[in-house]
Amino acid sequence: MRSRALTSFAALLGTLTLASCSGGGGGPAADAPKADLTATTEFSGTLSILTKFAGEPLQPYFEDIAAAYQKQHPGVQVELIQETDQSIKDKTKTLTASNALPDIFFTWSGNWAENFVRGGRAADLSAVIGPDTEWGRTFSPGSLSAFSYDGKYYGIPLYGNGKFMGYNKAAFAKAGVKVPTTFEEMLGSCAALREAGYEPVAFGNKDGWPALHYLQQLFAYNVPAETLQADFSPRTAKLDHPGYVAALTQFKKLVDTCTDTGKGTNGVLYSSAQQALHDGKAAMYYQEVLEFDNATDDDGLKPDDFGIFPLPVPQGAAGDTETIEGAPEGYLVNARSPRAALAVDFMKFVTSMDNAETLSAPPYGQPSTVVGAVTAETSSKAVYEGMELVNKAPRLAGWLDTVTVPEVADAWLAGGEALISGGSTPEQVLASVREASESAK
Amino acid sequence: MRAIRQRALGLAWVAPALALVVVFVYLPLVQNFEFSTLEWDIYSGSQEYVGLDNYRKLIDDPVFWSSMGNNVLYAVVSIAFQVFGALLLAALIEGVRSERWQRGLRAIYFIPSAISMTVAGLLFYFIYEPNLGPLNHLLKAVGLDSLAQAWLGQESTAMPAIIAMSQWQGFGYSTLLFAVAIQRIPKEIYGAAAIDGTGPVRRFVHVTVPLVREMTGLMMMVTVSGAFQVFNEVMVMTSGGPDNSSQVLGTWLYRNGFVRNDFGYAAAIATVIFVITMGIAVAQLWVTRRGRVEW
Repeated sequence: MRSRALTSFAALLGTLTLASCSGGGGGPAADAPKADLTATTEFSGTLSILTKFAGEPLQPYFEDIAAAYQKQHPGVQVELIQETDQSIKDKTKTLTASNALPDIFFTWSGNWAENFVRGGRAADLSAVIGPDTEWGRTFSPGSLSAFSYDGKYYGIPLYGNGKFMGYNKAAFAKAGVKVPTTFEEMLGSCAALREAGYEPVAFGNKDGWPALHYLQQLFAYNVPAETLQADFSPRTAKLDHPGYVAALTQFKKLVDTCTDTGKGTNGVLYSSAQQALHDGKAAMYYQEVLEFDNATDDDGLKPDDFGIFPLPVPQGAAGDTETIEGAPEGYLVNARSPRAALAVDFMKFVTSMDNAETLSAPPYGQPSTVVGAVTAETSSKAVYEGMELVNKAPRLAGWLDTVTVPEVADAWLAGGEALISGGSTPEQVLASVREASESAK
Repeated sequence: MRAIRQRALGLAWVAPALALVVVFVYLPLVQNFEFSTLEWDIYSGSQEYVGLDNYRKLIDDPVFWSSMGNNVLYAVVSIAFQVFGALLLAALIEGVRSERWQRGLRAIYFIPSAISMTVAGLLFYFIYEPNLGPLNHLLKAVGLDSLAQAWLGQESTAMPAIIAMSQWQGFGYSTLLFAVAIQRIPKEIYGAAAIDGTGPVRRFVHVTVPLVREMTGLMMMVTVSGAFQVFNEVMVMTSGGPDNSSQVLGTWLYRNGFVRNDFGYAAAIATVIFVITMGIAVAQLWVTRRGRVEW
């Protein structure tokens, strides 16, 4: 009872108070001068950076880079603010509301980054990272365009990503199952895998977003790309294509047929499911390229026993069947940073070939967007294969919770949970999302 | 002249504390209300005055009402267990003849309260886990396989499972407070009741319950107020899911502010929580003033 502090209330009041103390009413630090990228870089002062690399095994990456940069430039102090995938969302919003964003900060692509661009919080980096610039040419063009809005380039893509079904080759061999070529074939293989003593697909949806990853890939398969794109924006959304209900139905079938937890999957942690594949208890697990190097080790699933394939396409799917779900993640430079030129220099150092290769290799396993950094020699086999497939895909579908506005993303999230538990039918889920999209117009 | 100087000196002593309270408590409260009348885009910094629109939105928001319902359910269950249940348990403990046993039992029941709510939430998350959790294993071991389920993964069981955990966590603290209240009752009253031939049940009903009514009133208010401030256990165990079924006002506020970027609406929910808990606090002061037990 005593510990039941009004944490949320206090957090909100704290955010609001910070905002008002920093002049939140006057726009984004309205009085601060605009970032000047053309200024001569002064190698002095403190450069702050908000990363998403808190915790093992990623934490040392920026620590080592900061130490190396400080060694090169003794006058510069790099202040690292390292957060986790979950905590960085709150941290970034609190810092934004209180006009206290660091010089460099992490961003997802899609609507997340667009908000900072629209609000004038992100510096236009076109002059230094545009596709025709020296630095820009070091990145894959697709990763640069993921942070491009109205023809201007804002983001520094750090690593690429994609979602694949990871599987245990030994489990498939034991069950006499081949890599499925259609969604229906995958559902059909689950009985054999279960008989062989494996949970066919490990899946944990406690946080809600893992279901969205399945849904977004199935939407891309079932709904034509132009329709899907239009439906992400509440202004143009109709959300009436039959592919949505088809995709929601396919997802529900997958959960009911191939997971042991079925309608209780909302009570399982994403990481518990990942552990099930690692421990050899599950045969498949839908995961990001960024997670591949954590799925295997000498104590559990061996790297040679780990394989990947894109989520198989349902028969008769009406969408773009070659789309792979995934999006690069990167960094923005604070549009009001007085050290913008230094920030750019630091990020050039971060994305130099040596550091890009280090990032792509185990234990980090974050496939760099720098061209040539991910090779069969520098990265693990699975990461290399995954990024090859991502790079070959004609189109990438961004994460569902970052490509649309938060109200709609939240409706998809609640809908995914309701679909799993059996609380809503596919039609009801779609109706609730349509309603959220209507009210967000 | 001296009296004025002394008064000024007194004010000077309390001024720093008063300033801190004003700046960090009252000013944010006023600002929160101000923000609840705005539509605020944190990215561009633009703020548009929308009057009471955010409060009107509350009326049509089904999740707001289901969250409120969960808070009320939490309060009702907490009153049953943490007030009346704890009072009964405290009376039983105090009825134990051996003082060593009394101390031991008090400690046993109090231990869960020494664990932070976040840690307790994590602990129970694993107890409830559908695959590996000991609760389902236990049910299956005693032949109750049909009851084994994903406690936190289904709309029908998520909130009751969270409430059950928090009763476990808070029960001992209330028991300890009631035990202290019972210890304050003069032994002569129990002696006189025993001479009159009353049994333990009648002594509890006619002596203990009336004479701890001050503590009972206080505990009820604290429990109800606490029930409207629930946040940590829900965030740790379900984050308000599945399908918003375990949202409470605190988590719905958080979700609107930090996930949906609707800070004005979140501020309106915060104002509602403030009004409810403030009302309970005023009632608490009123009850404790009127219900004073003297002997």
